[in-house]
Amino acid sequence: MGKNRNYREAGDSVILYPENYINDIEGEKLEDMCDIFLARGFKKIIIDFSETDLINSIGVSIMIGIIEKIKDKKGLILFSGLKKVNHDIFSIVGLTKHIPVFSTEKEALDVVSCEDRLPM
Amino acid sequence: MNMDLSLERLLFNLNTLAELGEEITSPKDFNKVVKSSLYMVMGSFSASKGLIFQFDQDGRCFHPIASKGLGDINGVGIKISPEAVKELIKNNKPIDLKSNEHPVPLLGAARGEFEKLGSRIVAGLIVKDELLGLIAVGDKFTGEDYSVYDLQLLSVMAQHISFSLHSHSLLMKLMHKFTENKGLYDNLRRIYYDTIHAFAAAIDAKDAYTRGHSHRVSAYSAVLAREMGWDKDAMEGIRIAGLLHDIGKIAVDKTIINKASPLTTMECRELNSHPVVGYEILSKIKFPWKGIPMMTRNHHEKVDGSGYPDRLKRQEIPMGARIMALTDAFDAMTTDRPYRPRLSFREAIGEIKDNFGKQFDPEAVGPFINVIRKEVLGEVDSPTIVPLLQEQLDSITIHRMLDGFPEAII
Ligand SMILES: [Fe+2]
Repeated sequence: MGKNRNYREAGDSVILYPENYINDIEGEKLEDMCDIFLARGFKKIIIDFSETDLINSIGVSIMIGIIEKIKDKKGLILFSGLKKVNHDIFSIVGLTKHIPVFSTEKEALDVVSCEDRLPM
Repeated sequence: MNMDLSLERLLFNLNTLAELGEEITSPKDFNKVVKSSLYMVMGSFSASKGLIFQFDQDGRCFHPIASKGLGDINGVGIKISPEAVKELIKNNKPIDLKSNEHPVPLLGAARGEFEKLGSRIVAGLIVKDELLGLIAVGDKFTGEDYSVYDLQLLSVMAQHISFSLHSHSLLMKLMHKFTENKGLYDNLRRIYYDTIHAFAAAIDAKDAYTRGHSHRVSAYSAVLAREMGWDKDAMEGIRIAGLLHDIGKIAVDKTIINKASPLTTMECRELNSHPVVGYEILSKIKFPWKGIPMMTRNHHEKVDGSGYPDRLKRQEIPMGARIMALTDAFDAMTTDRPYRPRLSFREAIGEIKDNFGKQFDPEAVGPFINVIRKEVLGEVDSPTIVPLLQEQLDSITIHRMLDGFPEAII
Protein backbone atom coordinates (compact mmCIF):
# COMPACT_ATOMS: atom_id res chain seq x y z
CA MET A 1 0.00 0.00 0.00
CA GLY A 2 1.25 3.42 -0.92
CA LYS A 3 -0.85 5.07 1.75
CA ASN A 4 -1.11 3.63 5.18
CA ARG A 5 -4.86 3.05 5.00
CA ASN A 6 -7.18 1.05 2.85
CA TYR A 7 -10.46 2.79 3.48
CA ARG A 8 -11.95 6.02 4.74
CA GLU A 9 -15.49 6.64 5.95
CA ALA A 10 -17.16 9.93 5.01
CA GLY A 11 -20.71 10.22 6.27
CA ASP A 12 -22.83 7.57 4.60
CA SER A 13 -20.10 6.90 2.03
CA VAL A 14 -16.95 4.89 2.21
CA ILE A 15 -13.88 5.26 0.03
CA LEU A 16 -11.81 2.17 -0.61
CA TYR A 17 -8.17 2.27 -1.66
CA PRO A 18 -7.12 -0.92 -3.42
CA GLU A 19 -3.55 -2.25 -3.62
CA ASN A 20 -0.99 -1.31 -6.28
CA TYR A 21 -1.82 -4.40 -8.25
CA ILE A 22 -5.19 -6.03 -8.71
CA ASN A 23 -3.98 -8.92 -10.77
CA ASP A 24 -4.49 -12.10 -8.78
CA ILE A 25 -7.11 -13.68 -6.59
CA GLU A 26 -5.65 -11.93 -3.55
CA GLY A 27 -7.42 -8.89 -4.98
CA GLU A 28 -10.63 -10.43 -3.75
CA LYS A 29 -9.83 -8.88 -0.35
CA LEU A 30 -11.35 -5.74 -1.81
CA GLU A 31 -14.59 -7.60 -2.45
CA ASP A 32 -14.56 -8.87 1.15
CA MET A 33 -14.12 -5.30 2.34
CA CYS A 34 -17.14 -4.21 0.33
CA ASP A 35 -19.15 -7.05 1.89
CA ILE A 36 -18.25 -5.75 5.32
CA PHE A 37 -19.26 -2.17 4.54
CA LEU A 38 -22.47 -3.24 2.83
CA ALA A 39 -23.32 -5.36 5.87
CA ARG A 40 -22.70 -2.34 8.06
CA GLY A 41 -25.26 -0.42 6.02
CA PHE A 42 -23.07 1.73 3.80
CA LYS A 43 -24.78 2.22 0.45
CA LYS A 44 -22.35 4.51 -1.36
CA ILE A 45 -18.96 3.10 -2.19
CA ILE A 46 -16.20 4.97 -3.98
CA ILE A 47 -13.20 3.01 -5.13
CA ASP A 48 -10.21 5.28 -5.57
CA PHE A 49 -7.57 3.78 -7.83
CA SER A 50 -4.98 6.54 -7.62
CA GLU A 51 -2.48 4.17 -5.98
CA THR A 52 -3.27 1.31 -8.36
CA ASP A 53 -0.85 0.72 -11.20
CA LEU A 54 -2.17 -2.47 -12.74
CA ILE A 55 -5.51 -4.17 -13.16
CA ASN A 56 -5.73 -7.29 -15.29
CA SER A 57 -8.58 -9.58 -16.31
CA ILE A 58 -8.71 -11.09 -12.82
CA GLY A 59 -9.04 -7.59 -11.41
CA VAL A 60 -11.85 -6.86 -13.84
CA SER A 61 -13.66 -9.97 -12.71
CA ILE A 62 -13.29 -8.90 -9.07
CA MET A 63 -14.62 -5.41 -9.91
CA ILE A 64 -17.67 -6.93 -11.56
CA GLY A 65 -18.24 -9.06 -8.45
CA ILE A 66 -18.17 -5.89 -6.34
CA ILE A 67 -20.47 -3.99 -8.68
CA GLU A 68 -23.02 -6.82 -8.71
CA LYS A 69 -23.08 -6.97 -4.91
CA ILE A 70 -23.59 -3.23 -4.58
CA LYS A 71 -26.33 -3.32 -7.21
CA ASP A 72 -28.07 -6.12 -5.28
CA LYS A 73 -28.18 -3.87 -2.23
CA LYS A 74 -29.46 -0.96 -4.36
CA GLY A 75 -26.29 0.87 -3.48
CA LEU A 76 -24.16 3.23 -5.48
CA ILE A 77 -20.64 2.65 -6.77
CA LEU A 78 -18.25 5.19 -8.24
CA PHE A 79 -14.68 4.98 -9.43
CA SER A 80 -12.07 7.70 -9.11
CA GLY A 81 -8.40 8.34 -9.74
CA LEU A 82 -8.06 5.79 -12.56
CA LYS A 83 -4.71 5.93 -14.32
CA LYS A 84 -4.92 5.91 -18.10
CA VAL A 85 -3.93 2.24 -18.51
CA ASN A 86 -6.58 1.17 -16.03
CA HIS A 87 -9.19 3.43 -17.54
CA ASP A 88 -8.39 1.88 -20.92
CA ILE A 89 -8.91 -1.61 -19.55
CA PHE A 90 -12.21 -0.68 -17.91
CA SER A 91 -13.36 0.84 -21.15
CA ILE A 92 -12.30 -2.20 -23.22
CA VAL A 93 -14.42 -4.48 -21.06
CA GLY A 94 -17.29 -1.99 -21.01
CA LEU A 95 -17.23 -1.02 -17.32
CA THR A 96 -16.88 2.70 -17.93
CA LYS A 97 -20.23 2.71 -19.72
CA HIS A 98 -21.93 1.50 -16.54
CA ILE A 99 -20.00 3.02 -13.66
CA PRO A 100 -19.48 6.76 -13.20
CA VAL A 101 -15.79 7.62 -13.24
CA PHE A 102 -14.32 10.77 -11.68
CA SER A 103 -10.82 12.07 -11.88
CA THR A 104 -10.47 12.58 -8.14
CA GLU A 105 -11.89 11.09 -4.98
CA LYS A 106 -13.09 14.56 -4.00
CA GLU A 107 -15.15 15.00 -7.15
CA ALA A 108 -16.75 11.61 -6.59
CA LEU A 109 -17.54 12.53 -2.98
CA ASP A 110 -19.06 15.85 -4.04
CA VAL A 111 -21.34 13.98 -6.38
CA VAL A 112 -22.52 11.34 -3.92
CA SER A 113 -23.34 14.05 -1.42
CA CYS A 114 -25.66 15.54 -4.02
CA GLU A 115 -27.12 12.54 -5.77
CA ASP A 116 -29.32 14.44 -8.21
CA ARG A 117 -26.22 15.56 -10.03
CA LEU A 118 -25.13 12.05 -10.73
CA PRO A 119 -24.77 11.59 -14.48
CA MET A 120 -26.44 8.22 -14.82
CA MET B 1 -20.17 -10.18 -36.66
CA ASN B 2 -19.38 -7.90 -33.76
CA MET B 3 -16.66 -5.46 -34.82
CA ASP B 4 -15.41 -4.29 -31.45
CA LEU B 5 -12.00 -5.70 -32.27
CA SER B 6 -9.93 -2.68 -31.41
CA LEU B 7 -6.20 -3.04 -31.10
CA GLU B 8 -6.56 -2.38 -27.37
CA ARG B 9 -9.03 -5.21 -27.00
CA LEU B 10 -6.76 -7.62 -28.87
CA LEU B 11 -3.77 -6.67 -26.76
CA PHE B 12 -5.76 -7.04 -23.57
CA ASN B 13 -6.84 -10.50 -24.67
CA LEU B 14 -3.36 -11.53 -25.78
CA ASN B 15 -2.03 -10.40 -22.46
CA THR B 16 -4.63 -12.46 -20.65
CA LEU B 17 -3.74 -15.47 -22.79
CA ALA B 18 -0.09 -15.07 -21.88
CA GLU B 19 -0.97 -14.78 -18.20
CA LEU B 20 -3.21 -17.80 -18.44
CA GLY B 21 -0.38 -19.76 -20.05
CA GLU B 22 1.90 -18.69 -17.22
CA GLU B 23 -0.70 -19.50 -14.59
CA ILE B 24 -1.36 -23.06 -15.71
CA THR B 25 2.32 -23.91 -15.86
CA SER B 26 3.06 -22.31 -12.49
CA PRO B 27 3.76 -24.54 -9.51
CA LYS B 28 0.88 -22.92 -7.61
CA ASP B 29 -1.78 -24.84 -5.80
CA PHE B 30 -4.21 -26.44 -8.25
CA ASN B 31 -7.32 -24.85 -6.75
CA LYS B 32 -5.77 -21.40 -7.02
CA VAL B 33 -4.77 -22.01 -10.62
CA VAL B 34 -8.31 -23.07 -11.54
CA LYS B 35 -9.83 -20.13 -9.71
CA SER B 36 -7.46 -17.62 -11.33
CA SER B 37 -8.14 -19.15 -14.73
CA LEU B 38 -11.88 -18.79 -14.24
CA TYR B 39 -11.48 -15.15 -13.18
CA MET B 40 -9.33 -14.44 -16.23
CA VAL B 41 -11.97 -15.86 -18.54
CA MET B 42 -14.76 -13.97 -16.79
CA GLY B 43 -12.76 -10.73 -16.79
CA SER B 44 -12.12 -11.07 -20.51
CA PHE B 45 -15.83 -11.19 -21.24
CA SER B 46 -16.98 -9.12 -18.27
CA ALA B 47 -19.23 -11.98 -17.21
CA SER B 48 -20.63 -11.80 -13.70
CA LYS B 49 -21.24 -15.53 -13.20
CA GLY B 50 -19.06 -18.47 -14.05
CA LEU B 51 -17.97 -21.96 -13.07
CA ILE B 52 -15.38 -24.58 -13.89
CA PHE B 53 -16.53 -28.17 -13.53
CA GLN B 54 -14.47 -31.32 -13.29
CA PHE B 55 -15.75 -34.69 -14.31
CA ASP B 56 -16.02 -37.04 -11.38
CA GLN B 57 -15.41 -40.60 -12.53
CA ASP B 58 -17.10 -42.19 -9.51
CA GLY B 59 -20.33 -40.20 -9.55
CA ARG B 60 -20.28 -39.93 -13.36
CA CYS B 61 -21.16 -36.29 -12.90
CA PHE B 62 -19.65 -32.79 -13.34
CA HIS B 63 -18.85 -31.01 -10.06
CA PRO B 64 -17.84 -27.34 -9.76
CA ILE B 65 -14.22 -26.86 -8.67
CA ALA B 66 -14.35 -23.06 -8.94
CA SER B 67 -17.13 -20.53 -9.22
CA LYS B 68 -17.74 -16.80 -9.02
CA GLY B 69 -20.85 -14.70 -8.60
CA LEU B 70 -22.97 -17.63 -7.41
CA GLY B 71 -22.67 -17.77 -3.64
CA ASP B 72 -22.82 -21.24 -2.12
CA ILE B 73 -22.86 -23.96 -4.73
CA ASN B 74 -22.04 -26.89 -2.48
CA GLY B 75 -23.62 -30.11 -3.64
CA VAL B 76 -24.11 -29.00 -7.23
CA GLY B 77 -23.49 -31.79 -9.71
CA ILE B 78 -24.60 -31.97 -13.32
CA LYS B 79 -25.17 -35.23 -15.11
CA ILE B 80 -24.71 -35.31 -18.86
CA SER B 81 -25.68 -38.29 -20.97
CA PRO B 82 -22.89 -40.26 -22.68
CA GLU B 83 -24.32 -39.34 -26.12
CA ALA B 84 -24.22 -35.64 -25.25
CA VAL B 85 -20.66 -36.02 -23.96
CA LYS B 86 -19.67 -37.72 -27.19
CA GLU B 87 -21.17 -34.92 -29.25
CA LEU B 88 -19.59 -32.20 -27.07
CA ILE B 89 -16.21 -33.77 -27.73
CA LYS B 90 -16.88 -34.08 -31.45
CA ASN B 91 -18.20 -30.53 -31.67
CA ASN B 92 -15.26 -29.19 -29.63
CA LYS B 93 -16.51 -25.57 -29.64
CA PRO B 94 -18.21 -23.42 -27.03
CA ILE B 95 -21.99 -23.77 -27.14
CA ASP B 96 -24.60 -21.11 -26.56
CA LEU B 97 -27.32 -22.46 -24.27
CA LYS B 98 -29.76 -19.94 -25.69
CA SER B 99 -29.43 -21.38 -29.16
CA ASN B 100 -30.88 -24.63 -30.34
CA GLU B 101 -27.84 -25.54 -32.35
CA HIS B 102 -26.44 -29.02 -32.15
CA PRO B 103 -25.48 -30.39 -29.62
CA VAL B 104 -27.37 -28.09 -27.21
CA PRO B 105 -30.69 -30.03 -27.32
CA LEU B 106 -28.82 -33.21 -26.41
CA LEU B 107 -28.02 -31.74 -22.98
CA GLY B 108 -31.58 -32.44 -21.87
CA ALA B 109 -32.17 -31.67 -18.22
CA ALA B 110 -28.56 -30.54 -17.78
CA ARG B 111 -29.39 -27.48 -19.86
CA GLY B 112 -31.86 -26.28 -17.23
CA GLU B 113 -29.33 -26.92 -14.47
CA PHE B 114 -26.76 -24.78 -16.22
CA GLU B 115 -29.33 -22.06 -16.69
CA LYS B 116 -30.18 -22.18 -12.99
CA LEU B 117 -26.51 -21.37 -12.37
CA GLY B 118 -26.76 -18.36 -14.66
CA SER B 119 -24.70 -20.02 -17.38
CA ARG B 120 -24.99 -18.86 -20.93
CA ILE B 121 -21.98 -20.29 -22.80
CA VAL B 122 -20.46 -23.69 -22.04
CA ALA B 123 -17.12 -24.93 -23.37
CA GLY B 124 -15.72 -28.43 -22.96
CA LEU B 125 -12.32 -28.96 -21.35
CA ILE B 126 -11.13 -31.66 -23.67
CA VAL B 127 -7.82 -33.45 -23.85
CA LYS B 128 -7.23 -36.26 -26.28
CA ASP B 129 -10.92 -36.93 -26.91
CA GLU B 130 -11.76 -37.00 -23.25
CA LEU B 131 -14.13 -34.49 -21.65
CA LEU B 132 -12.28 -33.72 -18.40
CA GLY B 133 -14.50 -30.84 -17.40
CA LEU B 134 -16.51 -27.83 -18.48
CA ILE B 135 -16.27 -24.10 -18.18
CA ALA B 136 -19.51 -22.15 -18.08
CA VAL B 137 -19.89 -18.38 -18.20
CA GLY B 138 -22.97 -16.24 -17.74
CA ASP B 139 -24.20 -13.25 -19.68
CA LYS B 140 -21.98 -10.22 -20.02
CA PHE B 141 -22.33 -7.60 -17.33
CA THR B 142 -22.57 -4.98 -20.06
CA GLY B 143 -25.62 -6.58 -21.64
CA GLU B 144 -23.78 -7.06 -24.92
CA ASP B 145 -24.02 -10.38 -26.68
CA TYR B 146 -21.15 -12.81 -27.20
CA SER B 147 -19.51 -12.32 -30.60
CA VAL B 148 -17.97 -14.96 -32.83
CA TYR B 149 -14.60 -13.61 -31.76
CA ASP B 150 -15.52 -14.03 -28.08
CA LEU B 151 -16.37 -17.67 -28.68
CA GLN B 152 -13.06 -18.24 -30.45
CA LEU B 153 -11.19 -16.64 -27.58
CA LEU B 154 -13.11 -18.76 -25.08
CA SER B 155 -12.21 -21.82 -27.09
CA VAL B 156 -8.49 -20.95 -26.89
CA MET B 157 -8.76 -20.26 -23.16
CA ALA B 158 -10.63 -23.51 -22.60
CA GLN B 159 -7.80 -25.40 -24.26
CA HIS B 160 -5.32 -23.76 -21.91
CA ILE B 161 -7.40 -24.71 -18.91
CA SER B 162 -7.90 -28.29 -20.06
CA PHE B 163 -4.16 -28.66 -20.08
CA SER B 164 -4.08 -27.70 -16.43
CA LEU B 165 -6.89 -30.09 -15.59
CA HIS B 166 -5.19 -32.83 -17.51
CA SER B 167 -1.81 -32.51 -15.83
CA HIS B 168 -3.56 -32.32 -12.49
CA SER B 169 -5.51 -35.51 -13.02
CA LEU B 170 -2.33 -37.16 -14.23
CA LEU B 171 -0.59 -36.02 -11.11
CA MET B 172 -3.44 -37.36 -9.04
CA LYS B 173 -2.98 -40.73 -10.63
CA LEU B 174 0.76 -40.40 -10.04
CA MET B 175 1.41 -40.76 -13.69
CA HIS B 176 4.21 -38.49 -14.69
CA LYS B 177 4.04 -38.73 -18.41
CA PHE B 178 6.34 -35.80 -18.83
CA THR B 179 7.05 -36.19 -22.49
CA GLU B 180 3.40 -36.56 -23.32
CA ASN B 181 2.57 -33.43 -21.40
CA LYS B 182 5.33 -31.58 -23.07
CA GLY B 183 3.74 -32.40 -26.41
CA LEU B 184 0.48 -31.00 -25.13
CA TYR B 185 2.16 -27.83 -24.05
CA ASP B 186 3.74 -27.42 -27.46
CA ASN B 187 0.20 -27.60 -28.75
CA LEU B 188 -0.76 -24.72 -26.50
CA ARG B 189 2.05 -22.64 -27.87
CA ARG B 190 0.71 -23.49 -31.28
CA ILE B 191 -2.65 -22.04 -30.25
CA TYR B 192 -0.99 -18.92 -28.92
CA TYR B 193 0.99 -18.67 -32.12
CA ASP B 194 -2.17 -19.02 -34.23
CA THR B 195 -3.82 -16.18 -32.32
CA ILE B 196 -0.86 -13.91 -33.00
CA HIS B 197 -0.75 -15.10 -36.58
CA ALA B 198 -4.31 -13.97 -37.14
CA PHE B 199 -3.35 -10.65 -35.64
CA ALA B 200 -0.28 -10.30 -37.88
CA ALA B 201 -2.50 -10.84 -40.91
CA ALA B 202 -4.45 -7.80 -39.74
CA ILE B 203 -1.22 -5.75 -39.65
CA ASP B 204 -0.28 -6.83 -43.16
CA ALA B 205 -3.76 -6.07 -44.41
CA LYS B 206 -3.12 -2.41 -43.71
CA ASP B 207 -0.24 -2.50 -46.14
CA ALA B 208 -1.68 -3.41 -49.52
CA TYR B 209 1.68 -4.15 -51.11
CA THR B 210 3.21 -6.26 -48.45
CA ARG B 211 0.58 -8.86 -47.82
CA GLY B 212 2.27 -11.75 -46.13
CA HIS B 213 5.36 -9.69 -45.25
CA SER B 214 5.18 -10.39 -41.51
CA HIS B 215 4.54 -14.04 -42.20
CA ARG B 216 7.60 -14.32 -44.43
CA VAL B 217 9.89 -12.31 -42.12
CA SER B 218 8.78 -14.63 -39.34
CA ALA B 219 9.47 -17.78 -41.35
CA TYR B 220 12.81 -16.55 -42.72
CA SER B 221 14.00 -15.40 -39.29
CA ALA B 222 13.12 -18.69 -37.61
CA VAL B 223 14.96 -20.69 -40.27
CA LEU B 224 17.98 -18.41 -40.06
CA ALA B 225 17.96 -18.61 -36.25
CA ARG B 226 17.94 -22.41 -36.47
CA GLU B 227 20.82 -22.32 -38.93
CA MET B 228 22.70 -20.16 -36.41
CA GLY B 229 22.17 -22.81 -33.75
CA TRP B 230 19.41 -21.21 -31.68
CA ASP B 231 17.41 -23.58 -29.49
CA LYS B 232 13.78 -24.36 -30.15
CA ASP B 233 12.43 -21.94 -27.58
CA ALA B 234 14.48 -18.99 -28.84
CA MET B 235 13.46 -19.89 -32.37
CA GLU B 236 9.79 -19.73 -31.41
CA GLY B 237 10.46 -16.32 -29.87
CA ILE B 238 11.92 -14.87 -33.05
CA ARG B 239 9.10 -16.46 -35.04
CA ILE B 240 6.63 -14.49 -32.93
CA ALA B 241 8.78 -11.35 -33.12
CA GLY B 242 8.79 -11.67 -36.92
CA LEU B 243 5.01 -11.77 -36.95
CA LEU B 244 4.79 -8.69 -34.75
CA HIS B 245 7.80 -6.63 -35.84
CA ASP B 246 5.72 -4.12 -37.80
CA ILE B 247 2.88 -3.92 -35.28
CA GLY B 248 3.78 -0.24 -34.72
CA LYS B 249 2.53 0.47 -38.24
CA ILE B 250 -0.96 0.17 -36.82
CA ALA B 251 -0.40 3.71 -35.58
CA VAL B 252 0.92 4.98 -38.93
CA ASP B 253 -1.49 6.53 -41.41
CA LYS B 254 -2.41 3.99 -44.10
CA THR B 255 -1.90 6.50 -46.90
CA ILE B 256 1.73 6.98 -45.87
CA ILE B 257 2.42 3.24 -45.89
CA ASN B 258 0.94 2.81 -49.35
CA LYS B 259 2.24 6.05 -50.87
CA ALA B 260 4.01 5.66 -54.22
CA SER B 261 5.67 9.09 -54.30
CA PRO B 262 8.57 10.09 -52.03
CA LEU B 263 7.60 10.86 -48.43
CA THR B 264 7.84 14.30 -46.85
CA THR B 265 10.06 14.72 -43.78
CA MET B 266 7.00 14.57 -41.53
CA GLU B 267 5.64 11.47 -43.21
CA CYS B 268 9.02 9.82 -43.01
CA ARG B 269 9.25 10.61 -39.32
CA GLU B 270 5.83 9.10 -38.76
CA LEU B 271 6.71 5.92 -40.64
CA ASN B 272 10.03 5.63 -38.84
CA SER B 273 8.29 5.79 -35.49
CA HIS B 274 6.87 2.29 -35.99
CA PRO B 275 9.67 0.35 -34.23
CA VAL B 276 9.32 2.51 -31.11
CA VAL B 277 5.53 2.39 -31.18
CA GLY B 278 5.75 -1.38 -31.63
CA TYR B 279 8.15 -1.64 -28.71
CA GLU B 280 5.81 0.35 -26.51
CA ILE B 281 2.87 -1.87 -27.39
CA LEU B 282 4.75 -5.16 -27.00
CA SER B 283 6.64 -4.28 -23.84
CA LYS B 284 3.28 -4.24 -22.07
CA ILE B 285 2.65 -7.86 -22.95
CA LYS B 286 4.03 -10.73 -20.94
CA PHE B 287 5.26 -13.17 -23.56
CA PRO B 288 6.35 -16.71 -22.78
CA TRP B 289 9.39 -15.90 -24.97
CA LYS B 290 12.22 -13.48 -24.27
CA GLY B 291 13.32 -10.39 -26.17
CA ILE B 292 10.33 -9.77 -28.44
CA PRO B 293 9.91 -6.05 -27.63
CA MET B 294 13.62 -5.26 -28.17
CA MET B 295 13.80 -7.24 -31.41
CA THR B 296 10.87 -5.16 -32.64
CA ARG B 297 12.42 -1.91 -31.51
CA ASN B 298 15.76 -2.56 -33.19
CA HIS B 299 14.80 -4.23 -36.47
CA HIS B 300 15.79 -1.11 -38.43
CA GLU B 301 19.20 -0.66 -36.82
CA LYS B 302 22.27 -1.03 -39.04
CA VAL B 303 25.52 -2.59 -37.83
CA ASP B 304 27.49 0.57 -38.71
CA GLY B 305 25.31 2.58 -36.32
CA SER B 306 23.41 4.54 -38.99
CA GLY B 307 20.02 2.92 -38.41
CA TYR B 308 17.11 3.92 -36.20
CA PRO B 309 15.73 4.48 -33.59
CA ASP B 310 18.70 4.00 -31.24
CA ARG B 311 21.62 4.19 -33.74
CA LEU B 312 23.12 1.09 -32.16
CA LYS B 313 26.28 -0.54 -33.49
CA ARG B 314 26.77 -4.21 -34.27
CA GLN B 315 27.29 -5.84 -30.88
CA GLU B 316 24.82 -3.48 -29.20
CA ILE B 317 21.97 -4.67 -31.40
CA PRO B 318 20.21 -7.79 -30.08
CA MET B 319 21.09 -10.74 -32.33
CA GLY B 320 17.40 -11.31 -33.05
CA ALA B 321 17.08 -7.75 -34.35
CA ARG B 322 20.14 -8.23 -36.56
CA ILE B 323 18.51 -11.34 -38.00
CA MET B 324 15.24 -9.53 -38.61
CA ALA B 325 16.98 -6.50 -40.14
CA LEU B 326 18.35 -8.87 -42.77
CA THR B 327 15.22 -10.94 -43.42
CA ASP B 328 13.00 -7.82 -43.37
CA ALA B 329 15.18 -6.06 -45.95
CA PHE B 330 15.49 -9.24 -48.01
CA ASP B 331 11.72 -9.65 -48.17
CA ALA B 332 11.22 -5.95 -48.90
CA MET B 333 13.64 -6.22 -51.82
CA THR B 334 12.20 -9.41 -53.29
CA THR B 335 8.57 -8.25 -53.28
CA ASP B 336 6.87 -5.40 -55.15
CA ARG B 337 6.53 -2.12 -53.28
CA PRO B 338 4.36 0.91 -54.07
CA TYR B 339 7.46 2.89 -55.01
CA ARG B 340 9.32 0.23 -57.04
CA PRO B 341 8.99 -3.24 -58.54
CA ARG B 342 10.74 -6.13 -56.83
CA LEU B 343 14.41 -6.91 -57.40
CA SER B 344 15.48 -10.27 -58.75
CA PHE B 345 17.03 -12.68 -56.26
CA ARG B 346 20.47 -11.94 -57.73
CA GLU B 347 19.99 -8.20 -57.40
CA ALA B 348 18.79 -8.59 -53.81
CA ILE B 349 21.82 -10.68 -52.89
CA GLY B 350 23.93 -8.03 -54.65
CA GLU B 351 22.43 -5.39 -52.35
CA ILE B 352 23.20 -7.51 -49.33
CA LYS B 353 26.75 -7.91 -50.61
CA ASP B 354 27.14 -4.13 -51.08
CA ASN B 355 25.87 -3.48 -47.58
CA PHE B 356 27.66 -6.37 -45.93
CA GLY B 357 29.15 -5.15 -42.65
CA LYS B 358 27.45 -1.76 -43.07
CA GLN B 359 23.73 -2.42 -42.88
CA PHE B 360 23.82 -6.18 -42.37
CA ASP B 361 25.65 -8.29 -39.86
CA PRO B 362 28.12 -10.77 -41.40
CA GLU B 363 27.23 -13.18 -38.58
CA ALA B 364 23.71 -13.38 -39.99
CA VAL B 365 24.44 -13.02 -43.71
CA GLY B 366 26.73 -16.09 -43.84
CA PRO B 367 24.20 -18.57 -42.39
CA PHE B 368 21.38 -16.97 -44.39
CA ILE B 369 23.14 -17.57 -47.68
CA ASN B 370 24.13 -21.01 -46.52
CA VAL B 371 20.61 -22.05 -45.67
CA ILE B 372 19.26 -20.76 -49.00
CA ARG B 373 21.95 -22.73 -50.78
CA LYS B 374 21.07 -25.87 -48.84
CA GLU B 375 17.40 -25.42 -49.67
CA VAL B 376 18.07 -25.02 -53.40
CA LEU B 377 20.42 -27.98 -53.49
CA GLY B 378 17.83 -30.12 -51.72
CA GLU B 379 19.96 -30.64 -48.63
CA VAL B 380 17.10 -29.89 -46.21
CA ASP B 381 13.93 -31.92 -45.71
CA SER B 382 11.39 -29.15 -46.00
CA PRO B 383 12.60 -25.89 -47.52
CA THR B 384 11.04 -22.72 -46.08
CA ILE B 385 12.61 -19.72 -47.79
CA VAL B 386 12.83 -20.89 -51.40
CA PRO B 387 9.12 -21.78 -51.81
CA LEU B 388 8.19 -18.29 -50.59
CA LEU B 389 10.29 -16.54 -53.23
CA GLN B 390 8.70 -15.32 -56.42
CA GLU B 391 11.28 -16.84 -58.73
CA GLN B 392 12.74 -20.27 -59.34
CA LEU B 393 16.32 -20.66 -58.19
CA ASP B 394 18.76 -23.10 -59.76
CA SER B 395 22.16 -24.24 -58.62
CA ILE B 396 23.93 -21.94 -61.10
CA THR B 397 22.32 -18.81 -59.61
CA ILE B 398 23.25 -20.16 -56.21
CA HIS B 399 26.90 -20.69 -57.09
CA ARG B 400 27.09 -17.25 -58.67
CA MET B 401 25.47 -15.53 -55.71
CA LEU B 402 28.49 -16.33 -53.61
CA ASP B 403 30.85 -14.41 -55.90
CA GLY B 404 32.24 -11.36 -54.28
CA PHE B 405 31.55 -12.33 -50.67
CA PRO B 406 34.55 -12.63 -48.37
CA GLU B 407 35.44 -16.31 -48.27
CA ALA B 408 35.34 -16.46 -44.52
CA ILE B 409 31.57 -16.25 -44.35
CA ILE B 410 30.71 -19.40 -46.26
FE1 LIG C 1 9.74 -2.33 -40.13
